[in-house]
Amino acid sequence: MHEISLVQAMLQQLSDLAARNQATKVIKITVEIGQMSGVVADSFRFGFEVLSGNDDLVRGAELVIITPPVSYRCTQCGHTETTVTKPDCCPQCREVFLIPEGGDDLILQQVEME
Amino acid sequence: MCDSCGCHVPTEHDHTHSHTSPKTVDVHTSLLAANDALAKLNREHFEAMGAVAINLISSPGSGKTTLLEHTIEQLGGGIKIGVIEGDIETERDADRIRAKGVPVIQLTTGGACHLDAAMTHKGLHLLEKQPGGDTIDLLFIENVGNLVCPATFDLGEHKRVVLVSVPEGPDKPAKYPKAFTSSDIFLITKTDLLPYFDFPVPECKAEALHLNPKLTVMDFSSTTGVGFEAWLQYLRDLVKEAKTK
Repeated sequence: MHEISLVQAMLQQLSDLAARNQATKVIKITVEIGQMSGVVADSFRFGFEVLSGNDDLVRGAELVIITPPVSYRCTQCGHTETTVTKPDCCPQCREVFLIPEGGDDLILQQVEME
Repeated sequence: MCDSCGCHVPTEHDHTHSHTSPKTVDVHTSLLAANDALAKLNREHFEAMGAVAINLISSPGSGKTTLLEHTIEQLGGGIKIGVIEGDIETERDADRIRAKGVPVIQLTTGGACHLDAAMTHKGLHLLEKQPGGDTIDLLFIENVGNLVCPATFDLGEHKRVVLVSVPEGPDKPAKYPKAFTSSDIFLITKTDLLPYFDFPVPECKAEALHLNPKLTVMDFSSTTGVGFEAWLQYLRDLVKEAKTK
């Protein structure tokens, strides 16, 4: 459950950001969580719900989680499939071993505040 | 500023708020930015000490502490080793390392499933206060036993080592890709147990190399010593290379 640590890091970033922008309330947070980042989006959301309840700045804010597609390259035929859900096998040759490319980002993209 | 070493650890800031109309700010900052900044400082700190730092990641029970015990026994003398131990609870691993006569610090995370750069920073300062803790050539950071969460956090290490022991099965690279894509070395341990388990070593190596072609892969048994020399030589070369930089 390292998602809790990442939510704490995000709350610190939001606190710094609000101070720099003279804001007292965060309304909406957009975060990118890559499929290969090793972070479970549902756990991150759960951690956010728990921790934001104790944080005046962020309490009640909307959390939007974006999961960009990942490219999977077939180790047999070289076909690349770009998708948001990991394919079971290569759609061209049925090879099961596919190498993911990208998708390991964890990024605070955009914050709406007042 | 960090009060014990002068590192540029981010400090608390003052909150001066006033009400304004809604505003949207594009941030595009990694959630790991604070950790990664501290990790960079740790790396500079290790280098200032003249130490090469290695982060050991694996499931619980794959042989990280045993690997360290045998490594210390066989490298000790020529190379000065220090250890930062990470566990959720107990001093047991540190006790085992301390028995080998090298400086060691136990970090107990109290529930956290991984070490992060801030904990490592704290451990490093405690280690430096131990006898011999400020003159280390090779620093091992034994992460919390967990093949998932530790992979996300840079501690400032120079090399990341992932271990899989034979009883765990050969499918770990496929199931836990992040640990393997983020590592430099992959060690298959407890190979003395190969006769009793279905663990095709070449297939496991191939899968790991598919994920990360830059991985250096070794297989050995710390207990019998078969194949262990390659690991020791890797470490000797690493320390030598760091000293000549």
